[in-house]
Amino acid sequence: MFAAVTSVVLVGVEPRPVRVEAQITGGPSNIVIVGLPDAAVREARERVRAAIRSAGHSLPSRRVVVNLSPADVPKSGAAYDLPIALAILAAAGIVAPAATGVVALGELALDGEVRHARGGFAAALVARDAGLPCLLPPAAAAEAVTLPDVRLRAVESLAAAAAVALGQSEGSPVSPVDAATEAHFDLADVRGQATARRALEVAAAGGHHLLMSGAPGAGKTMLARTMPGILPPLTAEAGHEVALVWAAAGRPRAESTTAPFRSPHHSATLAALVGGGSGIPIPGEASLAHRGVLFLDELGEFPPHLLDALRQPVEDGAVTVVRKGASARFPTSLQLVAATNPCPCGYAGDRLVACRCTPRTVDRYRRRLSGPLLDRFDMRIRLARVAPGELTGPPGEATAEVRARVCAARKRQDARGGLNRELHRAELDAFGWDDDAIGLLVDAVGSMALTARGWDRVRRVAVTIADLDESDVVTARHVGEALAYRAAP
Amino acid sequence: MIDARLQLAYAGLHPDRTRGLLAVLAPDRALRKVVTGSRSDRVSAAASVDAATRRRELAELGIRFVTSDSGEYPSQLAALPDAPDGLFVRGAIPVGPGVAVVGTRRCTSYGRRLAADYGAAIARAGWPLVSGLARGIDGAAHLGTVQARGIGVAVLGCGLDIAYPPEHEGLAGRLLDLGGAVISEYPPATPPEGWRFPPRNRIISGLAAAVVVVEANTTGGALITAATALDQGTPVFAVPGDVGREASRGCNLLIRDGAHPVLEPADLVAELELVLGPVAAGSGPASAAEPAADIVPDEGVGLDSLAERMDIPTGEALAAVSRWEADGLVERIGDTVYPVRNR
Repeated sequence: MFAAVTSVVLVGVEPRPVRVEAQITGGPSNIVIVGLPDAAVREARERVRAAIRSAGHSLPSRRVVVNLSPADVPKSGAAYDLPIALAILAAAGIVAPAATGVVALGELALDGEVRHARGGFAAALVARDAGLPCLLPPAAAAEAVTLPDVRLRAVESLAAAAAVALGQSEGSPVSPVDAATEAHFDLADVRGQATARRALEVAAAGGHHLLMSGAPGAGKTMLARTMPGILPPLTAEAGHEVALVWAAAGRPRAESTTAPFRSPHHSATLAALVGGGSGIPIPGEASLAHRGVLFLDELGEFPPHLLDALRQPVEDGAVTVVRKGASARFPTSLQLVAATNPCPCGYAGDRLVACRCTPRTVDRYRRRLSGPLLDRFDMRIRLARVAPGELTGPPGEATAEVRARVCAARKRQDARGGLNRELHRAELDAFGWDDDAIGLLVDAVGSMALTARGWDRVRRVAVTIADLDESDVVTARHVGEALAYRAAP
Repeated sequence: MIDARLQLAYAGLHPDRTRGLLAVLAPDRALRKVVTGSRSDRVSAAASVDAATRRRELAELGIRFVTSDSGEYPSQLAALPDAPDGLFVRGAIPVGPGVAVVGTRRCTSYGRRLAADYGAAIARAGWPLVSGLARGIDGAAHLGTVQARGIGVAVLGCGLDIAYPPEHEGLAGRLLDLGGAVISEYPPATPPEGWRFPPRNRIISGLAAAVVVVEANTTGGALITAATALDQGTPVFAVPGDVGREASRGCNLLIRDGAHPVLEPADLVAELELVLGPVAAGSGPASAAEPAADIVPDEGVGLDSLAERMDIPTGEALAAVSRWEADGLVERIGDTVYPVRNR
């Protein structure tokens, strides 16, 4: 009269197994669900009752108690319908007890159909660790199709689920997610902009945060969109982290090896950006960009409080979101790429076009950018307007060639144990610095107003340039180039 | 008499009105007329504060009042029919005429660069640079002078204790530190109001033996300065620019109407030597035996084109620019590299 099926709950992005227990006892005909269910989970009893009837079974007129354990973790959503139904069927003796040896997740329709539910990838991870088959709605199963060593079973109805659980059927075929792939530009499509191209390569190689400023139409957005293509492919481990975050956000992700690229609009809310929401927190854009690029277009238009809120996640590589009754830690190890106009009209500092802004508006515009977040950008470049001749010129170097150099530079960093973006002063000091390189840095303090923080920032970028050069010694040429990437915004 | 003139200067009238009064009345009578007969309470109140109090206020602010009959008052200015009766002065007005560099507030970075070059060249030639300390060209010209450690005179359109434009407060201080002057015909605490600026342009041209217009729109103060200069018989030079470019339209117009076109600071200096006497000795331009000088043209070059011009990979070109920048050979504004010649 007792049965238990395994399912999954996401704590932040960490999947934890949930035991869905059902017991049939004496008493009035009723289904009671306990174990911190939210309203959607409580409503499962009506869907489960109807789905079981539609599958051609009838529930005993007894009292059914369903417990979701561990009882202290809040559970939400309709994804527990399927495991609850399986547990009840097994407890009532309608299907063989063997049917409970699965990990299941899915919402039930009244006619017994299994519908999509969030967390397919997480369920697959739990199933892999438990060595059990994983029963998922077809779309959720597709999320996990790249995960090895999992017996994935896509099921379309409760009846099919029972049959698959008993090993009588293999379930429906699982097809990969057909979500639209993120559109990437190839660097070959970018004309001119030699400095910006080189800066993108260096930023990608060291994972440095990059700020591009320039007149409207200079190609800032297009250049930023070439970034995911330049970045090295995600390792299997990084790919799983990304898939987990995306699954927690309820967004299936098509590719598993391309770094994610997120480009939130400046009207985004705080919760949409860093994670949150009412009830159980879900990851925000900063976490969706984990192991990839968070692109902030029109940086100056973002409200200051949003930029301030991004600072800590960008710095720490993780953000803890606390809501009433639940807190979650989401990874945010991301590379920040931002674009901005130098002033509202876009022509401040242009060689030939006069800026139409008053100094006060320019000042106010830049002040919005300045402050703590601006400090995080290791590299700041100024884009020129594209000269007319360049648009008809030959195409630039293709993404694939740049990526090969970036991968080589990353390999050197991996051997040292971390991205150059994260190098601290002591680690920087330990590098081999050419005498001329130090000399140039010292000169720059005097004539280029290099600050103490700027000193480390330039050295981090210089190390990356040395990596691209496959040089173990950082020379004046590397430092010189790094110094060039500190234009005023 | 001096008391009355100081009090009258404090009335804050339009310069034309003050001049009209003084043309027909003695200073004390003119003052009485302003105190009793002015329709504005503010004006009569300002004019009725006694001169001793005003002198004390000026002393506290470090400002002197120089009347047109004083020996310190520039003689070229004093000779003008519409010369101000008195000037409020911080620092020391240089003896002998200077060279004015003026232009639009809405300038391009190219124009800013040129203005600084002219400001520096004039300073190196040993002539005082006169301008209006406004945003844009004026400020850039003053900056060029200051960087070349020359003497400059800034003529303001507001009180000397008002920092306007606020971002040039430091620049005014450096002008004074280097032995220049900041002057105005308006008393302290006079706010920068639009109608006060056109009259001050006659002072700028009145202090100069030549006026150089670097970038100007078809309307605006720079052309007024050029016009007052022509009225005063002072030669006007203009830097030509692209025909269609807004910021050069005023200059091109001046050239069409007969202003001397100047293509580089050396032209101007050579031309002016005839008028102003020879260049101060021992301050020739910086030696050009530098690799940067051959590659970076005066009009500036974009970082992208620089790499192309040097025919080396972009990264190396960037490194070279940083090296030059650290050595003070070039300067980067936006995405453009300019040579530094005024060291």
